[in-house]
Amino acid sequence: MAKIELNLSLNRVEGDLEIAVELEDGVVSQARTVGTLYRGFEQIMLGRAPRDGLVITPRVCGICGTAHLYSAVLALEQAWQLPVPPNAVRIRNLCLIAEGIQNDLRQTFLFFTPDFCNPRYIDRPWFAELMDAFEPFRGSVYRQTLALSRKAVEIVAQFGGQWPHSSYMLPGGVTTPPDLRRIIACRAVLDEIQRWYEQTVIGAGLDDWLALDSADAYFSWLETPAHAASALGLLSRSARGLGLQRMAAGTPHMLSYGAWCDPEQPQDRLVPGGFFDGDSGQIAPLDQRMINEHVRHSWFKPYPGGLHPSNGETIPDFQPNSDRYTWAKAPRYGDRAVQTGPLAELLIGGDALIESLHALEGGNAWLRQFARVRRIAYELVCARRMLDELSVDFSQPHIFNPGKSAEVDGEGFGLIMAARGALGHWVKIKDGAIARYQIVTPTAWNASPRDSNGLPGHWEQSLVGVAVQDPEDPIEIGHIIRSHDPCLVCTVHMLDTGKKRHFAP
Amino acid sequence: MATLFWLQTGACGGESLTILSAEAPSLEHLLSDCGIDMLWHPSLSHQPMRQHDELYRSIVVGEQALDILCVEGSIVTAPRGTGLYDSYRGTAKMDMVRELAQRAGVVVAMGTCAAFGGVHAAAPNPGDCVGLQFDRDRPGGLLPPEWRSRRGLPVVNVAGCPAHPHTMTQTLAGLAAGWSLPLDELNRPQAFFNTVVHQGCTRNEYHEYDIEELEPGGRACLFFNLGCQGPMTQAVCNSDLWNGVSSKTRAGVPCFGCTSPNFPRDADLFATPKVGEIPVQLPLGVERSRYMAYKNLARAAAPARVRNKEMDV
Repeated sequence: MAKIELNLSLNRVEGDLEIAVELEDGVVSQARTVGTLYRGFEQIMLGRAPRDGLVITPRVCGICGTAHLYSAVLALEQAWQLPVPPNAVRIRNLCLIAEGIQNDLRQTFLFFTPDFCNPRYIDRPWFAELMDAFEPFRGSVYRQTLALSRKAVEIVAQFGGQWPHSSYMLPGGVTTPPDLRRIIACRAVLDEIQRWYEQTVIGAGLDDWLALDSADAYFSWLETPAHAASALGLLSRSARGLGLQRMAAGTPHMLSYGAWCDPEQPQDRLVPGGFFDGDSGQIAPLDQRMINEHVRHSWFKPYPGGLHPSNGETIPDFQPNSDRYTWAKAPRYGDRAVQTGPLAELLIGGDALIESLHALEGGNAWLRQFARVRRIAYELVCARRMLDELSVDFSQPHIFNPGKSAEVDGEGFGLIMAARGALGHWVKIKDGAIARYQIVTPTAWNASPRDSNGLPGHWEQSLVGVAVQDPEDPIEIGHIIRSHDPCLVCTVHMLDTGKKRHFAP
Repeated sequence: MATLFWLQTGACGGESLTILSAEAPSLEHLLSDCGIDMLWHPSLSHQPMRQHDELYRSIVVGEQALDILCVEGSIVTAPRGTGLYDSYRGTAKMDMVRELAQRAGVVVAMGTCAAFGGVHAAAPNPGDCVGLQFDRDRPGGLLPPEWRSRRGLPVVNVAGCPAHPHTMTQTLAGLAAGWSLPLDELNRPQAFFNTVVHQGCTRNEYHEYDIEELEPGGRACLFFNLGCQGPMTQAVCNSDLWNGVSSKTRAGVPCFGCTSPNFPRDADLFATPKVGEIPVQLPLGVERSRYMAYKNLARAAAPARVRNKEMDV
């Protein structure tokens, strides 16, 4: 049996990704994902004013700063037990959605579909059509994605002043009220994106598309000319032609924190979250106390088992020549490795089409990407609802300023569905300053290394069994990993570690 | 054509995403019409990584000409100066930057991290991060102060967290055209740093009449109480609006001074340190006693529409 070790690096992901795979006769028998960067946000947060987290944590990630800001502000509001006016929640949701649309478009058409333009596929029946649409910097859909994703973040700029990296969500609300000018401008952006999404991405009206509720219905729809010629139709035909619907299930367990806070009941989510148990097929309510993180295979000072984020620890302990191999920790839900992202969000949230496709073929690389494109429809609907509700009465408050006396010591957490999946911030405030800060990002779940029990993380599981045709250009691995929307800058952990430490390599 | 190689070091990817928001020129316009040949960009290139490795090798040995090297992110030097907290296939990114810089016509630090160290270099600087040719506000980072690129330039610091989209694309367009780009004392291209964020801020009239907010969410000026650095921060945020739409200060978010070498400053970012009634730091170049005299007069002269904060921003 020919056995080779392959160290792969991957571009078109956020941050640096290296994967070590073992190939037996061309099939992946083992995989290890390696986070190669440690920035140490945790020590930077320690001792700072609690609100500084709203400036610093969005800068963990250049693509989902709004999601980090949202989690950070929820954590502070929980610690300080603050009410939030409904219009602030609406504006927060609207901005998070705009960032989500940006991400879903860019991830799909700038990061994922370029893999299909590989010369290896030149003989495929869809290749010429695909190049017309998806060729980087030249294809029509690629270029339109550049233009439309740029438009989407204008919505964030209306309320946050800029995208990315702003701090417009503050404890008790947001800094800018809705007004006629902003609402109409946002609506214009949304209309333009929706028109393009309908005409070019799905080839149908939004309502018809959302009404599709079964795998059979989708496959017959895929045969209709308008949809077949659409960007999603093309993506589905090529991905399925390559068998991506049979690849890379990974862990069957999924996690969603639920999408978008309910403006009237901010503790509730407009799209419900939960834990999907892949063994039983049942969805259990979310219990954040079940979350814990392991470091057995990470370059952090070891501790036994897993620790809940509210009392976790992150002390760098770089040991490059050991069985530890990454700067990412291993988050677990109970003792389960889980996947998170749009597939988890829609499956747990109850989208009938995704449920049906998942029941038929299970989790797979195509379905993950398909779910990301499908989610844009929900984002458009929810964004429009937020705008409609905001326009009812512009005089409603957009912030309840808590005043200094509310800034008491305590603990809180904020859980959000970021574009890439479940994002949580846990904060502890002592003597008026940040005493502990822990972030568990979506990519930390997906890119997790092995845990204390030796259980591999989701990507590591999803790569096993994949046949690699050309180890010099392992494009299959690109399809699979990019279907997860990886963001390696997000594997960085935050927590107090006390003093600055140095460790010899 | 000017060849360009983009490298991410200790970064969040913010500059890569932000540059996609540029419109005049846009990134795609920069590539199709402004004479830039992008050899590699980690987030956008579709070629396999073996091509990246081959490009890197051929640049380092001098087979492939490199006109513009863009670096995004802090230079991570931990642990113990090895740089291995930020590696690529076992090589410290820090060493890759050094090698590429020796071959580059010009080196551009994209964003405050690459320019000065940025958020990752904030105290206690756990990654021992520095900028390319500055360590916060001190000259000399990865490269010594006297270092010059092949074109005879120090590292061009396109500061900002993230850098403004047009500050990035217009700098690159100018460099590709071979223009000389006068730099300020922090090696930032003067054209984009010769204005302060305060200029063009829609809250200016409130500042003028000293009508100040005590709490966030209002319409008035954020300088006296809420930590706004707009009057001291050089950047185009209010003269070339973000995403074509707005700026942080217009949206009621204090300017945190993200184009400055000491960003983020080591203090409560939403508060203005004051001695008595007076901010410790005053607008760029302003004399304290005159400023206070003027402010008191101005407040007395404020029209009711401003005093009552009736004017939208």
